[in-house]
Amino acid sequence: MLVEFELIERARSGDDSAFSQVVQAYRKRILGTIARLIGRPEDVEDVGQEVFLRLYYSLEQLRTAEVFEPWLYRLTVNAAYDYLRRQKRRQEHRMSDLSEQQVMMADAAAGGKQNDEDQRRSKVKEQVDALLEKVSDEDRILLTLKEVEGLSLKELEKIYRVNENALKVRLFRARQRVLKAYESGEGSGES
Amino acid sequence: MDRMDNMGTKLDALFSEYRSAFPDMEGSTNFMPNLWQKIEARRVANTSIFRRLAQACVMATVALTLLMAALLPHLQREPVYNMTYIDVLDAAHSSEAADLIASEIR
Repeated sequence: MLVEFELIERARSGDDSAFSQVVQAYRKRILGTIARLIGRPEDVEDVGQEVFLRLYYSLEQLRTAEVFEPWLYRLTVNAAYDYLRRQKRRQEHRMSDLSEQQVMMADAAAGGKQNDEDQRRSKVKEQVDALLEKVSDEDRILLTLKEVEGLSLKELEKIYRVNENALKVRLFRARQRVLKAYESGEGSGES
Repeated sequence: MDRMDNMGTKLDALFSEYRSAFPDMEGSTNFMPNLWQKIEARRVANTSIFRRLAQACVMATVALTLLMAALLPHLQREPVYNMTYIDVLDAAHSSEAADLIASEIR
């Protein structure tokens, strides 16, 4: 826990300054997790604010301060999932409006402005994105939490409120699918 | 099997690289002010929903009251009993009583 239970209790009972302190404590971690879940740094703050907004209005439903972190992660997962769904719809819409040539020109223009670090980052992002496209948005998030965030099965169990075995099966299947795609070169960045 | 293990290790390395490509981030200095703005906006939106709901209820109640006030006089039926018990007895036995009094006088 990054904060004392007492601070969460105070925030839960409507103390706005306590809530601000909780946000300050978890902001960095949650924004990082969101960045890795959605893979778009420009939208991270918006999704992060959505997470803390939902937290503010649902905090009184929290049973005890002990379950605060899984609760916050659940809100993060839900907000990331909502974002990915919205993004998918928007992308389909946007792509249908542009010709292939326009899309290529936009990509080339964006590429020209990037420095080496950005290029490396976007290459890794593209690779991982291509691989995670092989699974559903739900499995993408679950797999990212396990493989990238490094959350344990126990922690995931608390977040998802399902038993460990069900999670293991779901994770195994998702990883196998991603591994298969990786093996066939879809995420190797060699295209 | 070894090949799969090898691919698995490479995949883990890729995920780890992805993790370091997106380190934890602080967010901009406007993060908190914007968050509080959104909280306030939601609060106002929620309040106005309740206010609109309350207004709609009041309007509906007033309309129903006016409608009832206009319709009730027309809908009111004639009362079932418009005479007292004594009046009914009187009406039913008035001829008998007159005969009785007449016979007594005679």
